[in-house]
Amino acid sequence: MRACELMKETFYRRTYIWIVHVVWLALYGGFWWFFLPDMPEMGRFLFIWGGFFLALALSAGIFGDDIASGRICILVTKPFWTGELYIYRVLGLSLQAAVHLVLAGGLILALHAIMGKGNVDGLGVWLLATWLLFNTCAALSTSLSVIVGRAFNSLLLLVIIATGYFTMGLMVTYLRQEASSGVLASFIRYPWPPFELLYKLAAGEWGQYTLTVGKYSVTKSFACVVHSLMLTLVYSIIGILLLSRREYSRVRD
Amino acid sequence: MRDKINPRSVTVMAGLLLEGWALYVVGASAQRWHPSMVVEDETAAHILYDAMMRAMRDARSLSYTSVCSAPDDRVSTYRIRLKKPRFFRVEQTNGPSTKSTTLLDDGRFQWIHWVGDRPGLLLDTEESREEERSNVYVKEVSLAGKDSIADKMVLFGTAWLRLILNPSTFYEYPDPLEPYIDGIRGRGTNRVRGEVCDVIEVSYLRAQRTRYIWLSRQDYLPRELKEVVRGAENHVTVEEWSNVTVNGEIPPKTLAWSPPEGWRQWDLPKPADSLLQRGQEAPDFELCSARRGRIRLSDYRGKVVWLYVWDSGSPQCREEIPGLQQLHQGYSDKGLVILGFNCTDNRRVARAFLRENSATFPSILDPSEAATRLMRVGYGNRTKTVPLNYIIDPQGRVVDAWFGQEQDPERILAALAKAGLEVAK
Repeated sequence: MRACELMKETFYRRTYIWIVHVVWLALYGGFWWFFLPDMPEMGRFLFIWGGFFLALALSAGIFGDDIASGRICILVTKPFWTGELYIYRVLGLSLQAAVHLVLAGGLILALHAIMGKGNVDGLGVWLLATWLLFNTCAALSTSLSVIVGRAFNSLLLLVIIATGYFTMGLMVTYLRQEASSGVLASFIRYPWPPFELLYKLAAGEWGQYTLTVGKYSVTKSFACVVHSLMLTLVYSIIGILLLSRREYSRVRD
Repeated sequence: MRDKINPRSVTVMAGLLLEGWALYVVGASAQRWHPSMVVEDETAAHILYDAMMRAMRDARSLSYTSVCSAPDDRVSTYRIRLKKPRFFRVEQTNGPSTKSTTLLDDGRFQWIHWVGDRPGLLLDTEESREEERSNVYVKEVSLAGKDSIADKMVLFGTAWLRLILNPSTFYEYPDPLEPYIDGIRGRGTNRVRGEVCDVIEVSYLRAQRTRYIWLSRQDYLPRELKEVVRGAENHVTVEEWSNVTVNGEIPPKTLAWSPPEGWRQWDLPKPADSLLQRGQEAPDFELCSARRGRIRLSDYRGKVVWLYVWDSGSPQCREEIPGLQQLHQGYSDKGLVILGFNCTDNRRVARAFLRENSATFPSILDPSEAATRLMRVGYGNRTKTVPLNYIIDPQGRVVDAWFGQEQDPERILAALAKAGLEVAK
């Protein structure tokens, strides 16, 4: 019951959250309707909007708001482990994303059936990759929310990710031959949210460059899934540690 | 006992192991050589392979677009038009660039020209790079389909990625790897852009190289090819065919070209021009041996050295190594050292190959950057062509050098004699 309430709270905590879901679904529908893309383009759109921007929007101030208002003092004095608060909030976000992506998939299939054009090959894999990315980004953003005030966690994450990938893009373009660029690229590729790995999974690139007949390499795809779940776990453990070691004030910021 | 096992430690260890496995699988190249990769021949799959070769060779004309890509985001696009008896036009671009290289055979001459400034080529000298850059073309006598289009495009067009299936197959150009097919097996069916294809796996040179080919059921021509070459590093290339037209009309004007006004003919430097010249000192080196330890060229001062640069993926090298072993056995006590040099192969593959051929002559097996650079810069093998032969005299000076199999045995005997070796004619 408590778990259910804590998870529901992630949806009801702000009125804009349901608007975000509706707007995002409208964006997917609009993108399909106006551009009639093939699945790779639609998948990329879904991956970025549903996996990254949706996570930022839903997790903005998820702890920062409570800390700023002083409500966190009431929450952490309840007779339960502080980590539960964190876990159920991340699970709540993950559940919202799962429902959101199921609706998005249904919407795309419906539009595909109505318009009778385009293709939906690999939609399921794109949805899975999007959900995994969402979980990783949501966990990282939630952990940031413990230390960054109000809703600045999402903004900070956006800036960090954009700067990191911009730097990596520059290195790939201009410093391809330098050994140091490979090390830095690996640093961005593995401990950061797994944009590249999950994108390759969904786009079938792991299968394309390994000797498998089909589109997907099962071993590599499974390894990507494991890595993204592990990252979610690590980000969450950091968040739980931060949450349980902080001292909170009842005074409003 | 139960008290000693901390569940938290076990969970952390299991998590670390799982993550370690995931990172290894994601980061590692999955095609590491293993003897079990050698494929057994299946008749049905072999028939499909033969049907593909026949479809290529029997067509009167063939045009298609081929996009070659690699995991590091390199892409080379080829637009290919072939017409019997001896016409072809191949346009090639790299990545998103619009600058193309065109190789065209009008039946009498072969033309190579570029849109805008030509790119820097492997064979360029410093002068040619500066002075022969704009408005130039190459004109050669047509070899009537008897040369390899795929190799030429890489050499002259600086294509990032080589075509897997050589378009010259259309002119019955023999695939040098065909005699080295280990086996062909079927891998079921798969769809490529909505088209049902039969998939076959072809293994060459004891799985040093493996190709997967997606064959259309309509015309038995490929729709996709995938190749892994297991060298010091594994290289994977994917070639996707589209707009395939068999026996269609190819407008004659697309198979003809004449240089625009003001353009000038440029003679390509020859690959051998960049090699060390007679009398030059062979650069010394100290590199890893195929067995244990290191080999220094200067250790062989006072002996005649036949430096043989080889690669187990080269059919020519495969043919020559047994002969070199015989020379080693016959002349090692007379002052000849056959010194193998391999800086491209996976050590396991190369050592297995040497063992199979009972090759006991000393051989360098070092895929390090230093060895590669030594061969490219020190010994002038800019095009990384194998086999490459250097005859070095007892003072460490170059007596002769040549690429490939030397057809004239007199040249070899003369070089060895000049280096100071007593050879029986």
